[in-house]
Amino acid sequence: MESSYLIGSIAVAAVLTYVTRIIPFLLFRTREPSPLIKYIELNMPLMIMVILVFYALKDVKWESYPYGLAEIIGVSVAIALHVKFKNALLSIFVATLTYMILIQKVL
Amino acid sequence: MNFLAILKLTIPVMMGYIPLGMAFGLLLSKLLIPWYYAFFMSAFIFAGSGQFLVLTLFASQATILEIGIATFLLNLRHTFYGLSMISTFKHFSWKKHYLIFGLTDETFALLKTTEVPEGNRERAYLLITFLNQCYWIVGSVMGAMLGNILPFNYEGIEFSLTALFVVLSIELYKKNRLHKPFFVALIIGLFGMVLFPPQKMLILSLCAAAFVLIVFKRSMENGK
Repeated sequence: MESSYLIGSIAVAAVLTYVTRIIPFLLFRTREPSPLIKYIELNMPLMIMVILVFYALKDVKWESYPYGLAEIIGVSVAIALHVKFKNALLSIFVATLTYMILIQKVL
Repeated sequence: MNFLAILKLTIPVMMGYIPLGMAFGLLLSKLLIPWYYAFFMSAFIFAGSGQFLVLTLFASQATILEIGIATFLLNLRHTFYGLSMISTFKHFSWKKHYLIFGLTDETFALLKTTEVPEGNRERAYLLITFLNQCYWIVGSVMGAMLGNILPFNYEGIEFSLTALFVVLSIELYKKNRLHKPFFVALIIGLFGMVLFPPQKMLILSLCAAAFVLIVFKRSMENGK
């Protein structure tokens, strides 16, 4: 591949990725955010986070063996540990370890 | 917040970004692209799925215009993240442009859930973003240079990002005054995962969530 093609594409991708991230700051720079924007700011993060969980699971093959069992168990471990101990690192470490063992050795 | 506390906070992202970055670097090296392009892409684009997409488009010899349009559409979801950060970043110095630049899924998640005293906030946020980007760069360059030589079976370690999102969802659920948005998002996420095409799942689900949040504002705020 030519380097001009690679560099050009990377530059374009870099600028446009930044544009997607800066759009809201440009739109609401001068005006004081409206109550609606404040309401979105307050509640959208929770919705985004929940949707990101499902996004992270989007490539799981639910219809064939092992039917997403490792993912279901991994997520359940994370929820259970976090509700009980409220220690983010512990929940994440143990859930990830459980998942790795399941997909590498068990399922 | 001191350096160590922030470092600890970013460990789950490190566990996810290094192997994912390596996978990216590996793919890049398979396309016979020199390793330093992995560095450039991770330094200047810094978007996980966005960078994978660019590689895929490289492989199919897409035009620069096509690469631009596809990147823009894929990363459009980041607009929602910015929307939730407007007042937080408002009084920061020019350095906030690095924060805006670095607003990936995972960085957004950490910034939104970390409690930092006001005076300390800008510095802490910059450090979180910078550390996350370092993990991503290190991973992708390692992947691109090492090629297929992997000493350890990392398979599945990227699940730490899924677990991170799960944990942060619980944290935000507890913090949020309204609980209905959580259940709405649960339903949208579940349906989105099953029904929407995987590449468009995130942006479509986020649009649906924003739509419901805005249109049903009154009933969302009713009850609790």
